[in-house]
Amino acid sequence: MKKKPNIKLIIGGIVIVIALVYLVISATRSNTQYFMTVNELLTQQSELQGQKLRMSGAVVGESIQYDPASLDLSFVVAQIPGDHKVIAEMGGLAKVLADAVADPNAPRITIHYTGVKPDLLKDEAQAIVTGSLDAEGVFQATELLMKCPSKYESELPDQVGD
Amino acid sequence: MFILGFGSFALAAIIMLVCLGLTIGQLARKQHEISKTVRLLTNLGFSLHSLSILTLLYLQITQDYSISYVVNVINPALPTYLRVTALWGGQAGSLFFWSWIINFCLVIALNRRHILQDNWGYLFTLINLIFFSGISMFLENPFKRVWELTDGNLAESLFSPAAGAQVYSGLIGQGLNPLLRHWGMIIHPPVLYIGFGAFLLPFGETLSHLMVKGDGEELIARLRPWLLVAWIFLTAGIALGSWWSYDVLGWGGYWAWDPVETSSLIPWLVSTGLLHSMFLQQKKDIFKRINVILILSSYLLIIFSILITRAGLISSVHAFGESAITIPLIVFLLASVVFSAAVVARRWKKMDSGWEFKSWFSRDSLFLYTLIILVAIALVCTWGLLYPLISRVFTGTEVTLDRGFYDRAATPLLILLVLLMAVCPLVGWSVSNLKKLGKRYLIPLLVAVLATAAAYIWLSKSWVALLAIFIIALGLAVLVAVTWRDLHKVEKPLSTFWKMRSRYGAFLVHTGILLIMLGIVGVEGLSDSIQGTLIPGDKMPLGEYGVEFVELTSNYDTPEYLSVRAQIDLWKGDEIVARLTPGQDVYEARSQYVSIPGKRSTLAGDFYTIMLDYDLMMGYVSIQATINPLVNFMWIGAFFLCLGAAFSLSSPIVREQALGDLEEDEN
Repeated sequence: MKKKPNIKLIIGGIVIVIALVYLVISATRSNTQYFMTVNELLTQQSELQGQKLRMSGAVVGESIQYDPASLDLSFVVAQIPGDHKVIAEMGGLAKVLADAVADPNAPRITIHYTGVKPDLLKDEAQAIVTGSLDAEGVFQATELLMKCPSKYESELPDQVGD
Repeated sequence: MFILGFGSFALAAIIMLVCLGLTIGQLARKQHEISKTVRLLTNLGFSLHSLSILTLLYLQITQDYSISYVVNVINPALPTYLRVTALWGGQAGSLFFWSWIINFCLVIALNRRHILQDNWGYLFTLINLIFFSGISMFLENPFKRVWELTDGNLAESLFSPAAGAQVYSGLIGQGLNPLLRHWGMIIHPPVLYIGFGAFLLPFGETLSHLMVKGDGEELIARLRPWLLVAWIFLTAGIALGSWWSYDVLGWGGYWAWDPVETSSLIPWLVSTGLLHSMFLQQKKDIFKRINVILILSSYLLIIFSILITRAGLISSVHAFGESAITIPLIVFLLASVVFSAAVVARRWKKMDSGWEFKSWFSRDSLFLYTLIILVAIALVCTWGLLYPLISRVFTGTEVTLDRGFYDRAATPLLILLVLLMAVCPLVGWSVSNLKKLGKRYLIPLLVAVLATAAAYIWLSKSWVALLAIFIIALGLAVLVAVTWRDLHKVEKPLSTFWKMRSRYGAFLVHTGILLIMLGIVGVEGLSDSIQGTLIPGDKMPLGEYGVEFVELTSNYDTPEYLSVRAQIDLWKGDEIVARLTPGQDVYEARSQYVSIPGKRSTLAGDFYTIMLDYDLMMGYVSIQATINPLVNFMWIGAFFLCLGAAFSLSSPIVREQALGDLEEDEN
C-alpha cells in the first residue's frame, strides 16, 4: 500500500533543518579560531590583530611571571611547527620543544593571561593558547591548554585552564 | 611471567581466530546455531585473556621494569591501588583492557543464552573482539620488553631485537602521572569501558537479526535490558568523569566541551533517543526502522569516540598522543558504517511500521520531537568535533571551534529538550488538543511561576537562570501531578507504583535531568568568587562566609612529593564550620606540581578553595575561594539517572493493563 506523503511532516522537517543549519552556521561563524604558529602570527601581525586565534608554542621556563594577587600570568613561547608530521620528522614533540626553547633565534611571542596558573605550565611544555593579539603584539589569552611530553611518558594528560 | 602473560594472550588470540573460522564455516553451511565447540572455545579464550590481564597486573604490582609498559606507568613510590589502576593509565594497557571488556561482554551474552544465540550475532561481535585484540597484539602490545643491545642502546620489543641483546630492567619509571592519581581513576575508565562494550551486544544482535529475519519485530523486547544496562554504565561513566574533572583542579571543571568529553556525549544522546523510540515500538509497534538505525549508530559512534580519544587527531585534555592505531581505526569504522548501512538498506521495506503523523500534540509526536532534538544536538557536537579536520581539508588551515560554539548552538537545543521533557508526561497517548491540556497544566504552571518569582527575589536576575528555574519547577511539578493523577484513585497505590516500575523509572530519570540542570544553574549562574594574599591570622569574606588563613604546613607524605597545605578555617557567622586544606603536591623530581583543592560540600553548595601560590619562607599564601551553589544536585541528578534506569530495568514494559486505563481515561 502506497501512502500519501504527509505535508505537515514535510513542512515540519524543512523548518527543523533550516533552524538547525542556521543555528550551526551562526554559531560556527562567531566562534572560529585559526590555528597558527608563532611564526605565522609574527609575520601577519597587523592583519590578525583583534581576531580570535589559537596558537601553539614551546614555553620558555624562565620567562614565566605570575602574580597570584591579581592572577596576572605572562610567559614567552617559542616557535614550533604546527604540523604533527613535521614534528615527528624532527624527532618528536619532546625534542622539538627542547630545541625551540634552547634556540635564541627562534621566533618568540609573549602571552598574557588572567587566571589560575595551570599546574603543567613549565619549561619546555607545549602551550596551546586561545585568544587574540593586542596592539603591542602581546597575545592576550582566554584559554590555556598545556601538554608536556617526556621520554618515558607518552601518555601524559594535558591540562586546561580557563 | 612475560611468557605467561604474552603466551596466554597469544593463545587467546589464536582461539579467537579458530572460532572465526568455525563460525564462518557453519554459516557457509547455513547453520545458525552456535556449536558447542565454539561455546567451549570462547569460554576458554576468555579465561586465557583474563589470565593474561592478571599477569599484566601482577607485573605492574611487583614492578617488573623489564616490561616497557610498567616503566611507563609505575614507579616504586606508587601505592598498590594505583599500580592496579595503571592498567588503564596508558595507551597500551587501556587498549588491552578494552579488548578484555569486549571479550567479557561477549562471554556474558553467550552464556546467558538470551541474545547473540545466532552465528551471525556471534560473528559480528567476534570480529570487533578480534580487531581490538589485533591492535593490542601488533600495534600497542603491553607486554613489550626493554632490551639492551650490544652497543649499549636500549630498544623496545617483544622478543630479542638483535643477536646478543639482553632484557634490561634498569629503567625506573616516573610512574603514573600525578594528575591521574585520584580515586576517580579507579572507577571512571572501567565504568565507561563497560558502557562502551555493552553497546556492542545490541549492535551484534541487531545486525544478526537483519541478516536472518529483518522485520524489526521482537528485537527491541529482547534488547531492552541490554540497552538499559549499557546506557546506565555509559551515563555513570560520563558522570564520574565530570565529577572527577570538577574535583581535580585544572581539567576544566565539570564540563568543558573538550573533544573527548563531547565524543562520549554523542553516543549518549543517540542512545537516549533510542530509549524513547524503543519505548514507542514496544507500546505501539512503530519506529522499527528508526530503532534499528539508532542501535547501530550508538555503537558506531562509540568507535568514533574511541578514535577521537586514541588517535590524537584533535587536541584534548585526554589525548593519548599520536598513535599508529589511527589508520586501522578509521578503516574499521568506515567499513562498519558501510556494512551496517547496506544491511539496513536491504531490509528497509520489510521494517515498515505504517506509522502516520496524526497530531502535533500526541505523545507519539512529542517522542518524535525529543528524538529529533537529541539527534540534532548530537549532530551539532559532531560538527564541532570535526570542524578542525573539515577546515584543514577544505581550506588548508586548521580552524577550531571554541566553547562559545557549543554554548551558542547546543544550549538552546538543550533548553528546548528539557522544556519538552517537562511538558511531555501530561500529554495523552494518541490525539490531544490544547484545550484539554491547558486544564491539566494549570497547577504545575502556577507552581513554576511561583518558584520563578521566588528565584527572582532571592537568587538571580539573569533571565537565562530564571528561564531554567521555571522549566525545572514546571518539570518537577508535572511529574508530581502525573504521579498523583495515576495513583490517588487506585486502591493500592504502592503496589501499582511497583507494578509500573518501567514508567516511574523513567520519571526518576527525568527528575535526574532536572536536578542536573539545577546544578548547572548553580555553577554557571549563581557562583561567587574572591581571591587574596593572606598571612596567618588574615581573614577574607565571601558571602556569609569568612576564610581565615591559620598556617602553612608542608611535609613529605611519601618521598615522592612534598605536600604543601594551607590550613584554613571556614567561618560562617561567629563559628568555624570547617577546616579546609587546599594546597599543592610538589613532585620535585619531575618538576611538576598538582593542585589539591580544599572544599566543604553541602546540599546547598560547595565552598571550594584553591591555593594559587605560597611562600614557605615568608609563610604567606594566595587563596581563591569560590561558592558553587547547588552544584551537588548535578551528582545527585546523575545518580537518579542510573537509579531510574535500573528501576525501569527491573520490570518489563507494561503493555496494556492498569497503565492503559490510567493513561487514556481523559482522552
